Amino acid sequence: MMGTKMRIKPTVLLGYLVPTVLLAFLPMAGFPRAWTLYVFLFAIYLAMANMWNLLAGYSGLVSLCQPAFLGIAGYAMVIGTWLGIPWGIGLLGGAVIAGVFALLLSNAVFRLTGVYFSIGTLVVPEALRMVFYLWRPVGGALQGGGSGYMVKGAAALLPPSYIYWMALLVGVGSMIIMRIVLRSNLGLGLAAIRDNERSAAACGVDVFRLKVYTFVISATITGLAGGIYFLNMGYIEPSATFNVKWTMAILLATVIGGIRTEEGPFFGSLVTVFLYFLLARYSGYSLLIQGVILIVIMLLSPQGIVGMLRKMRWYRNLTAYSEG
Amino acid sequence: MQTEPLLKIQNIEVFHGTFQAIWGLSLEVRRGEACALIGANTAGKSTLLDTINGVLHPATGSIEFMGQEISKLDSFEIVDLGITQVPEGRRLFPEMTVLENLMMGSYTPNARKHCKENLERVFELFPKVKDRQKQLAKTMSGGEQQMVAIGRGLMAHPQLIMIDELSLGLAPIIVDEIFKTIHKIKAQGVTVLFVEQNVAKTLMEADRAYIIETGKVSLSGTATELRNDKNIRKAYFGV
Amino acid sequence: MGHGDLVTPILMGVMLGGLYALTALGLSMVFGVMRVINLAHGDLVVLASYGSYAVLTILGIDPVVGLIITIPIMFAIGVLIQKYLMSKAVTIGAEAPLIIAFGLSLVIQNTNQIMWTPLSRGINTSYSQASFYLFHRQLPMTYLMDLIVGIVVMLALREFLKRTYMGRAIDATAQDPRASRLMGVNTKRIYYYAFGIAMVSAAIAGTFLGMTFPFTPTSGTTFLTIAFGTVIIGGLGSMMGTFLGGIILGLVQTLSAYFLGANAQMLVLYIVIIAILAFRPQGLFGR
Repeated sequence: MMGTKMRIKPTVLLGYLVPTVLLAFLPMAGFPRAWTLYVFLFAIYLAMANMWNLLAGYSGLVSLCQPAFLGIAGYAMVIGTWLGIPWGIGLLGGAVIAGVFALLLSNAVFRLTGVYFSIGTLVVPEALRMVFYLWRPVGGALQGGGSGYMVKGAAALLPPSYIYWMALLVGVGSMIIMRIVLRSNLGLGLAAIRDNERSAAACGVDVFRLKVYTFVISATITGLAGGIYFLNMGYIEPSATFNVKWTMAILLATVIGGIRTEEGPFFGSLVTVFLYFLLARYSGYSLLIQGVILIVIMLLSPQGIVGMLRKMRWYRNLTAYSEG
Repeated sequence: MQTEPLLKIQNIEVFHGTFQAIWGLSLEVRRGEACALIGANTAGKSTLLDTINGVLHPATGSIEFMGQEISKLDSFEIVDLGITQVPEGRRLFPEMTVLENLMMGSYTPNARKHCKENLERVFELFPKVKDRQKQLAKTMSGGEQQMVAIGRGLMAHPQLIMIDELSLGLAPIIVDEIFKTIHKIKAQGVTVLFVEQNVAKTLMEADRAYIIETGKVSLSGTATELRNDKNIRKAYFGV
Repeated sequence: MGHGDLVTPILMGVMLGGLYALTALGLSMVFGVMRVINLAHGDLVVLASYGSYAVLTILGIDPVVGLIITIPIMFAIGVLIQKYLMSKAVTIGAEAPLIIAFGLSLVIQNTNQIMWTPLSRGINTSYSQASFYLFHRQLPMTYLMDLIVGIVVMLALREFLKRTYMGRAIDATAQDPRASRLMGVNTKRIYYYAFGIAMVSAAIAGTFLGMTFPFTPTSGTTFLTIAFGTVIIGGLGSMMGTFLGGIILGLVQTLSAYFLGANAQMLVLYIVIIAILAFRPQGLFGR
């Protein structure tokens, strides 16, 4: 049973690429900057939500560790700019470092069953926040405290549209990756593990290894998206980076759309970024509102938007077609 | 003996999710008798006991206990009414002592009223249990655990005690000993419904029996009738 | 940070252990009975800290006496959470309780922040600054109270679980929910009470934590981590283990503050917890 259905139907592939190309023209066509920002954030959230969905939705690993990955990659990229490393290498290098970090963590966290895993992963961003608060690998001590870094050098002068296009790539790339993974042997193995870990192991599924693969993939892509985000921001500092707000946004994006569905993160990210703009004025209340939404959706409509869409026949037909 | 059966089940259907486990089953248990349910592992016997006990609920049909409809009641209400189950595998509380397990059996309001007298009764029926009352349940042998489990069931002050797979994993001598005690319990007025795979033994100890196959009653009658039934003899005794 | 006197941090670490064990009790109980790790536990403890703070600053009542008010409120909150959130969550799927607890955690954090600002607070009573002497060292009175309260509550809980019908039902349900139901235990209601009792211990823990350390709306993560670490080290299901786990973490904290400075103590704590997770997740005394 070699990688079944790894080929994507041409029409479906177009379905991914055409909107992406259209969106790519956004910054040049004279649309308001807010639209570009919206699509930018949407793409970043989309990538991160897909990766979290892979972990939590498809592998049963509710990871609260995502800020660690995006933060490490971000810091790697920014510190790289201080060391004269080209931003492109910094970006990819950061993603790789995030992946390696996940690999190292794997031994610690995968001994743990689901619940232990979650708390274990909760602690990691916290620890990293303290580490980066205390540790200044490059540059002298900042006057007046704080431990952030500005993006330096050529990276700081990048045209925003380049960064925008990179975000689009990562966003659509994550959708394609999800499509491939879910239909591959890895995806099957994960489904088996999620259903019943012991049975899966008894059937010869190398549970530990699959979990590690998923964890590393998730960390790497999340790191990549994070690096692009901070490239855009031009600045990184610990308390906003290793912050549970990221986790909340990613969770919400996945859950609102529909956890454990392929299209879920897409719809969820649309809504979450919209919420972000809506709640910008109420930043003091944003976590409260998001938390309530998360709880309500989880209780009333666990399958999120996709759950509601699937009740309609036209949607079912559409998705059945794209399955091929 | 009253003419009205103690437990009357009529035409129940029970589902596990979408999977149907019991199909239009009817049976009755008469007061003061030892009634047996015989069948293979997957026949639905444990599901049936759970349904009587209120852990599961039938989708259709009725269950009457002492004239009262109980099919919609929750388990803790049914135990209080006087039905108790000694589950398959004993399921003693492993970190509790024998005595603590017994006392846990006397939890419902009805049971608490008779706690002391029931404890004495259990000790009298199972002297070994009395000897080991301070021991941790998980350190006991299989046979001793079964005795404690039955004793725990009696502490609930039941009218009907249901025992699931009593002989499982036990040596025949122990099984005989336990059945002797069950007859004593029966003599004291508690009705016994027990579930077994061991057909020969069961038909010697029960008054009446039902054969359950794939969620339905396939045969029923007094133990003598069933012992002499040609189909039974062929299927289970190979004669 | 004198390098001569090791005795003081050791004594303080041990006393702190009592408080940490107390903080872990609620988490341990909810997991033992309902098999759910309540991610919002730390924030609920902080909620109780703010509650006691309010009792002191708004009502002018001593926070320990004020437990008369905070305990019933926290009990009710616990029952409501179990009844309307957690019991529904477990029917939805394995991830649902975690996600919902996460949402709840942030709702509480944000609510605390709205009501009390991100400013750091502390519960300061007339005796907060008092000290006592042991082995010729001056030690904070609050730490002694922490130890005593920790021991008292744990003993009380143990007696409750052994001697009362409700307590035994909770213990039985934790060991075997199905068998419990067959004994006539209303397991649904037991879950409510278990969560409620867990919140009672959280109320006490929060009050004394607030008297020992300053806290902010985001302290919940720290408290959760400490509670979790305590439970992990001690192994689930062992009260003695939880107590010892608390002492070990308390010692780790005070000793690393002593050797490495105040900034490092939380980081070292976190690293130790992650290390234990990596190498011995069943803890030292688990069953």
